[in-house]
Amino acid sequence: MIGRRELFGAAAASVALVKLLDDKAIASTGAMDASKAPEWAQPRGADGRLTRLESLDVESQQDFTLGFRLMQNKTLRSSSNAAFARALAKLGMDPKTPVTAEEVRAIADSEPTINMASKAWLSNQQITWKTLADHFHANSDHYLSELEFGDRSGPGALELNREFDVPAFARHEIHIQPGGYVGDPFAGYLYHYGTNSFYIAVMGHNEQDQVHEGTASRLPIPADGKVRRILDMGCGVGQLTVALQERFPEAEVWGIDVGGPMVRYAHSRASRLGSKANFAQRLAENTGFPDGHFDLVTSYLLHHELPAEVTRKVIAEAARVTRPGGVYYPIDFMSGGVKSPAAYMYNRWWDHRWNNEVWSMEYHSLDFSGEIAKSGFTMPANPVAALPGFGARYAIRTA
Amino acid sequence: MAAPDPNRPTYAVDAIPSDVRNGVFLGNPALDNVVTCLIAFGAEVWSTKRRLKVLEALMTKAGVTHEMIEKYVPTAAETAEWEKERDRFIELTLGPLGNDGFRTVGTDFPKHD
Repeated sequence: MIGRRELFGAAAASVALVKLLDDKAIASTGAMDASKAPEWAQPRGADGRLTRLESLDVESQQDFTLGFRLMQNKTLRSSSNAAFARALAKLGMDPKTPVTAEEVRAIADSEPTINMASKAWLSNQQITWKTLADHFHANSDHYLSELEFGDRSGPGALELNREFDVPAFARHEIHIQPGGYVGDPFAGYLYHYGTNSFYIAVMGHNEQDQVHEGTASRLPIPADGKVRRILDMGCGVGQLTVALQERFPEAEVWGIDVGGPMVRYAHSRASRLGSKANFAQRLAENTGFPDGHFDLVTSYLLHHELPAEVTRKVIAEAARVTRPGGVYYPIDFMSGGVKSPAAYMYNRWWDHRWNNEVWSMEYHSLDFSGEIAKSGFTMPANPVAALPGFGARYAIRTA
Repeated sequence: MAAPDPNRPTYAVDAIPSDVRNGVFLGNPALDNVVTCLIAFGAEVWSTKRRLKVLEALMTKAGVTHEMIEKYVPTAAETAEWEKERDRFIELTLGPLGNDGFRTVGTDFPKHD
C-alpha cells in the first residue's frame, strides 16, 4: 500500500513550478491543486470546509472540552459572577465604580467559588491543548507530510523563511497554546482546532468560517469601489484572508503572520479550499510591500497580542502601504483604559493573566482609535463593527 | 521545537513558556491537580461513550439494533465475569475514598523502625 507521505512526495516531485529561493526559504508559486488530494489521503474526510480530526478519540476529546466550556459558561461562570457580586457587596463597593486591575484582583483572590471556576476553566483549556498536541506530535510524520505537500500546492503563493527573526514579544504562549504561534511545527493545526470550541461556546459556530465570512462581508471598501489588493496583517491560520479572497475573487489578497507554522498551515488549508490567497511569513510592522500598495488593509484580533509600541509601528506601516482613499480597518476588542467597572476589569485581567494574553492590558491602556486618527487617516463617525461586539475602527487613508 | 529531521523544516522557533501551570487556585496544589485529573477523566470517559455510540450505530446498520442491545440478557457466565470486572473498576476508582490516613506528613510523621 502506498503511504500518504510517499504519495505526496511523488506528486510534489512531479511538479516543476516549485521555486526555492535558497536553502533556507521556500516560496510556492501555486503549482499543485491540493483540493484534488485523493479521498483516501484524508482518512476521516471533511465536514464541509473543516477536515475532520484524524482519530475518533481526539475528536471526542475536543467534543468533551467543548461541552465543558459550554457548561462552564452557563453554570460555573454564573456562580463565579454571583460570588464576585457578593464580595463587592461585602466590601461596600459600587459595581459601577471604575477600579484598577490590582484592586479587583484583591477582591477575587480569596473567593473559593471564583477560584474553582478559574481552575476548572484552566484545566479544560490545558486538556484541550494537550490532547490536540499529543495527537499531532504522535502523528508528526503524517502532518509534516501534509504541510510539505501544502508547501508545493496552490493556486496561491507561500513565502517562508527558516531564519526568520521572530521578535521576543511574539514568542509567548498566547491562550496557553503549547509553543504559541511560533514554537510548535503544528501551531496552525493546534490553533484552528483548539479555537473551534472557543467560537462555538462564545461567538457561534465557525467550523465553516462563518464568523470570518460574516466579518469579511461587513468590511467597508474605498469610496471609489476599487479593491485590487488586500492585506490581512497577523493572519494566523488565514480564515479571514480566505474569506476576503472569496468576497473579492479578482483581488490579489495577502495574509502575513510572524508565525511560520501558522502561515504554512494557512496556505495549506487555503490550497485545499481552492483559494488563490497568498501567504507570507512577515511582520505587520515591516511588511515589505511598496508604498500605497493596498486598497484595503485589515487585521483580525492582532493588536491585543502586541505591545503598545508595536501597535503604533503597525499603524504607521498600515498608513504607508494603504493607498490614498484606501481603507484601514483593524478588528479587535473595544479598549477600555486602565480603570473599568469591577466585573469588567476582573474579566479583562483574568484573560490577561490566566489565558496568557500577555499584551492585552497594554492594548487596553492604549487609545487605539486615537493612535490611528493621528497617523494619516480620517475616521468616519459611527462606523459599523465588522465583527459584532468588537471595536469598530474604520479609517480612510488621507491623500 | 526541533524538527525530527533537519531536511524537514518546521519553521518553529523557541517559545517563551507560560507560567500559568504554576498557579494554585484552591489553596493546595494537590486539590488543583485533582480538578485537572477529573476533567481529564471526563474527556476519556466521554471519548469511550462516543465510540460506543459509533459502534452501536454501525451495528444497527449491520442488523444489531439498539433495542436488541437494550434487551440483551447476559448469560450466567457473562454476568459473573462482568460483576467481577465491575467490582474491580469501583475498587480502583472509588476505593481510595475509604483510605483511613489521619496524620499529616512531615517531620513529626513516625519513622520506620
